Amino acid sequence: MSTVRLNAEGAENAEKNFLQKEAGTPGKTNPRLGLIAFLRLCLSRSCRGFFSIFSLRSLRPPRLSLRPHSPDWGLVFVYALVLALVGAGRAISPEFLTHKYLMQTALAVALLGIVSVGVAFITYSRHYVDLSIPGIMALSGIIAVSALKYGFIASLAAGLAAGMAIGLANGLVVGYLRLNPIIWTLAMMAVLSGVIRKAYGGAQVYPDAATDAGRAFLDLYHVEVLSIVPLPVAILAILAAAGYFLMRHTGFGAQLKLAGSSYEVARMTGVNVRRAVMAAFIISSATSAAAGILLTSFNKVGAQYVGRGYDFAAITAVVIGGTTLAGGRGGILGVIGGVMVIALLSSVLSLVRVGDFTFGEFEKAIVQGVVFILVVGAGSYSRRKSGLDDA
Amino acid sequence: MTDSGMALQMEKVSKRYPGTLAVDNVDFAVHAGEVHALVGENGAGKSTLMKMIAGAFDDYTGRILIGGREVLLHSPAIAKANGIQMIHQELSLAPALSIAENILAGRLPARGLVVNRGAMLAETRRCLGRVGLDLDPEMPVEEISPHEAQLVEIAKALGNNPCILVMDEPTSALGREEVQRLFAIIGNLRRQGLAIVYISHHLAEIFEVADRVTVLRDGRRVATRPMNQVTPAALVEMMVGRSASDLYARRKTRPGAQKLRVENLSRYGFFHDVSFGIRAGEILGLCGLSGAGRSELARSLCGIDPVDEGHVRLGGMDVTPRSYRAAIRAGLAYLTEDRKAQGLALRLDVAANILSAIIPRQCTAGVYFGGRGRGILGDLVRTLQVLPPDPSRTAGTLSGGNQQKVLLAKWLAADPEVLILDEPTRGVDVGAKVVIHQAIGALADQGKCILLISSDLPELVGLSDRILIMRKGHLIGQLPEDRRSESAALLAANGVGDLEPA
Repeated sequence: MSTVRLNAEGAENAEKNFLQKEAGTPGKTNPRLGLIAFLRLCLSRSCRGFFSIFSLRSLRPPRLSLRPHSPDWGLVFVYALVLALVGAGRAISPEFLTHKYLMQTALAVALLGIVSVGVAFITYSRHYVDLSIPGIMALSGIIAVSALKYGFIASLAAGLAAGMAIGLANGLVVGYLRLNPIIWTLAMMAVLSGVIRKAYGGAQVYPDAATDAGRAFLDLYHVEVLSIVPLPVAILAILAAAGYFLMRHTGFGAQLKLAGSSYEVARMTGVNVRRAVMAAFIISSATSAAAGILLTSFNKVGAQYVGRGYDFAAITAVVIGGTTLAGGRGGILGVIGGVMVIALLSSVLSLVRVGDFTFGEFEKAIVQGVVFILVVGAGSYSRRKSGLDDA
Repeated sequence: MTDSGMALQMEKVSKRYPGTLAVDNVDFAVHAGEVHALVGENGAGKSTLMKMIAGAFDDYTGRILIGGREVLLHSPAIAKANGIQMIHQELSLAPALSIAENILAGRLPARGLVVNRGAMLAETRRCLGRVGLDLDPEMPVEEISPHEAQLVEIAKALGNNPCILVMDEPTSALGREEVQRLFAIIGNLRRQGLAIVYISHHLAEIFEVADRVTVLRDGRRVATRPMNQVTPAALVEMMVGRSASDLYARRKTRPGAQKLRVENLSRYGFFHDVSFGIRAGEILGLCGLSGAGRSELARSLCGIDPVDEGHVRLGGMDVTPRSYRAAIRAGLAYLTEDRKAQGLALRLDVAANILSAIIPRQCTAGVYFGGRGRGILGDLVRTLQVLPPDPSRTAGTLSGGNQQKVLLAKWLAADPEVLILDEPTRGVDVGAKVVIHQAIGALADQGKCILLISSDLPELVGLSDRILIMRKGHLIGQLPEDRRSESAALLAANGVGDLEPA
């Protein structure tokens, strides 16, 4: 990484350059390993149900079946998209599928993945998204840097606690007072951004590389677990596994699913809906805070603009992954698929060259927005046609 | 002004829903200047007939004539163009808009693109004057009382200068004085030559306001009589028809000791000073007209709505609920009458719905073990004969009857001590009804208490061990054992006949 200019623009550019560079430079290792891994994942998880249509089910007499058999088409869709993008990337550049390259792509979107895993809980509960995510990320980062003088661990704890306090506030207001989540978190975002600017007088804070804590903080993003997996990727893996377990295998997850598919029904079933919704906002704020701290470590500066754009990117990943805005559907596997689609889309677009035309940041933003619109539109249209979204 | 010509004639009209003939070869005619009451039990075909008049169907058979001219009422717009206006039980006013904007919705007087405010206010005052209301036309509808809103609704319908006015339970939101005012308005309209179809369960109102009455039963017309040639008892006899109670076999087990005790329960404005008990293994029927406070009592009983006064005791313990969750923990459960909005998560599968009320029971330290519910799930799907017998089917794709079975299964899974059933078989087919009735009987045989609220009189009389009558928010007594019949129950709900103390 080249020297980072210590001003606002510099840090933002550094992040963009990093994403572009990391995503656009394939290395050289065995390209087949990744493809095989993808294929196995897709076949084992999502297509089991798909192939079951070829079985002799219809010839048997009707009987009580206790195993779910219908495929999760959202999941099939997103991993089909992943495969298509991998195929496209491989067609353009033969070195697209190398191990090193995949790891770099993973690192480039690890933070987005971490945020998305948390946001998925809010979307799952039918409260759409937390628009104060960029504010939470900036706040946790800047608080973590400010708290470095009390030690490295204290700094991380302070950053996380600050972010989760905002999540608690969001959860109390949206869950208990039933304010509209979009409007409330939008207002929270405006307040957070103002508070940070006011508290730091518009200035940015830098970790002091002369102290142990400061060095540890700056190294945080670049640590490699077991010296192969970058720390953000490892954290994403752990959070995704935890999120999957929480959503699928806990009472909380089951209650959130019921609340997400029908708030009124969940309430009339005796579920503590308010607490479940509040928990969803706290989970989202916790993952956002973690991502915010990592992003601040990478930027080497805590500032109000850190985390900008993560709200929209995260909801895009969540929705592409089959967690519909109408709630109660989807899951963490889909979210990871959605994050992969965004990452692969970005790197495939970087490889595209038609005459003089290439996809820069602006063009990519347009493509990402259009993809979001198409997925949301096609999803709700098909569900309305099939009569499944009247509830 | 009275004109004895026919305003509306329906000749041999029928309407078939998948599986049922809701209206079967019905003849129905209303004179101009006549108030014609339409009565019948729930499911007799009244609302289908009215929807037909309002243009809700394009596939009815038979002829409809308006003012002697045959018309095809295939859309609501055609019905309106032919001078037909409906006043529904549920208000169709937009709360945030002003009275004027509501009354003149779709026909605001305008100069070019700008609303002519003067004309709007004058026209609104004229409409309000017809129903005897003196309100500021620019006041938002949400700021007026429900009584006034109901009258504004009527003013809105009159504003379109109808020649046929259909009123569906127009008094359910009105107090006694407003009812008198409404009857005066109806008298005026009759003199102006309007044809009025009046639907109500309140027999007293019908005798007060109507000229003729048509009785429907099972989709067929039983009789049309001038009001002065029938008595309430004769009317009820025609509505109820054959005694369906014989279809219900009496259960063999006798109820045991008293288990649930409700003492002086009140929710101000909804029901007052209600006391009764349910014995173990007893099915207690609660009978009353719409607006009598049955559902409100049930909802307060299990903590969904607040309780202002009184106590609920279950097996000697005070379980007066503070929240629905507390009530469920104490062993009460409420099967809602609104399956779609409050009962089932239609987008989730059958298994998730049936197991939704016992999520905590399937957890250890917060970890959910879906397998624990498998056995109970399989049992319930089998005993309630849910079709198709596939727990992974999306609940919304099942038929109404099977959805209702799933809803019942959800609360059977929770194994409550007291189960309150609010319209457990509303809108379900006969097959599902039988299965649901058997399940309710079986539950009582296990010694549970069941409170049954149903507008389906054969069901209420056939299933219940005792029947309590509610009227205007008060529990007025118990139907004597020797007079337990559908007609007696219906008359009692209308305040006719002697009752035992509950």
